[in-house]
Amino acid sequence: MTEAQEKLTIIDCDVHPQLRSGADLLPYLDEPWRSQAARAGLPGAGLPYASPIGNKRKDADPPSGLPVGSDPAYMLEHYVLPFQVEYALLCSDSIIGVSGFADADYAAAVCKAYNDYQIAEWLPRSDRFKGYLCVATQDPYQAAAEIDRVGPHPDIVGVSVTGGSRMPYGQRFFHPIYEACQRHGLPLVIHPGAEGGGIFNPPTAAGYVSNYLQWHTCLPQTFMAHLVSFVCEGVFEKYPGFRVVLCEGGVAWLPPLLWRLDKNFKALRASTPWLKRMPSEYVRDHCFLTTQPIEEPDQPRHLDAMFEMFDAENMLLFSSDYPHWDFDDPTRILTRLSPEKKRKVFRDNARQLFGLV
Amino acid sequence: MAVHRVARTEDIPENTHLIVEVDNRSIGVYNVKGQYYAIHNRCPHQGAELCKGTRCGTTLDSEVYQFIYGRDQEIVRCPWHGWEFDIKTGRSLFNEKIRTRSYPVLVEDGFIGIVLAH
Ligand code: FES
Repeated sequence: MTEAQEKLTIIDCDVHPQLRSGADLLPYLDEPWRSQAARAGLPGAGLPYASPIGNKRKDADPPSGLPVGSDPAYMLEHYVLPFQVEYALLCSDSIIGVSGFADADYAAAVCKAYNDYQIAEWLPRSDRFKGYLCVATQDPYQAAAEIDRVGPHPDIVGVSVTGGSRMPYGQRFFHPIYEACQRHGLPLVIHPGAEGGGIFNPPTAAGYVSNYLQWHTCLPQTFMAHLVSFVCEGVFEKYPGFRVVLCEGGVAWLPPLLWRLDKNFKALRASTPWLKRMPSEYVRDHCFLTTQPIEEPDQPRHLDAMFEMFDAENMLLFSSDYPHWDFDDPTRILTRLSPEKKRKVFRDNARQLFGLV
Repeated sequence: MAVHRVARTEDIPENTHLIVEVDNRSIGVYNVKGQYYAIHNRCPHQGAELCKGTRCGTTLDSEVYQFIYGRDQEIVRCPWHGWEFDIKTGRSLFNEKIRTRSYPVLVEDGFIGIVLAH
């Protein structure tokens, strides 16, 4: 490690705590759902893909014998402290697919239970833990109520949903969620994990790809559709304080998408007369992307070039995805950024966005 | 500065236009609700003959999900890729710095004159 790296504390915007099992949530679930979950288990994503290598690191098992990622003390010891993570922003993994379940009320109850569980069992375990609250998208009004209920908690810094959806996220059906996010100054964090699962649309516009390799590679498709939708539906005009974090969906696809969007807007602006600026300008001011899994072109300078094509230094947020298989080590990625840009991407952008002082 | 008479006023009735050749320049002369305007017949994008495009109105500044139609006949849409231009100023609607040239028009003695700087 160089001296500069040693000094740089980081904010990791995507760290995954796991449930030991679904039973962890039972004490927090309201009836009648508690009895139902006790009998039938928690609603799952039903993701039609399995990773042949599993989705966790193989060297992150807690010595306590608990499942990977489910032991807060070991997460601190194994990752947070040695990597000088000032804040680890916890993003649910275990219930990531909850919005793919058809029963809106059950899904909302599970989110409520998860949020209370996280507040009781994770966030108090370290000053370095902050969390995203989970909402189920089936019923945006219940989601908004949950944001109102949990959002004011001082250790809650964002609202997370998965990329899988029944419709593009900019559409008016979802607006109550964004209004609530704005009301509490909480960014919406969109994280993959359930695309193509349950009641969601297929994970690509061409349909169901055959395996996890293809599914994971095509995740940016879904993010692209959501992003274009957010901008064109006028979400950022309607909710000027609203921010979106595209988490774990890749980065390098962004500039060409925005070129395409801006180009089309020049001819087709009359279909979105509420947009007062070029579409890419809304993205620059309202959207952020987390770094992991950072693209690794054969020529590292090609990634440098991509970063020149958008406001990378102000829009990127470091994330590791610990303890997942595609973890990025903060000391080994983005080593070519200048110290100043590194500070922004690894810490300061997130500090500002999530109000972490 | 020279004024080039290009048509009689009755040649371009309200909400019609004419493409004329002046000094080797192709210029569209438009009658917008009784007022005459002239713009260069060339799109700043890829050079299409702009004044062959459809004349139309457009959606005005609005709230989200609101559509307010207005400026009818004041807009020309490039025949190629559909960019909209304000006939009165030559400016595109998506960025006022992107424009086709617009020329002053003088109406005298029943003639429409285009003013060209030489
Ligand atoms: S040439 Fe006019 S819009 Fe392309």
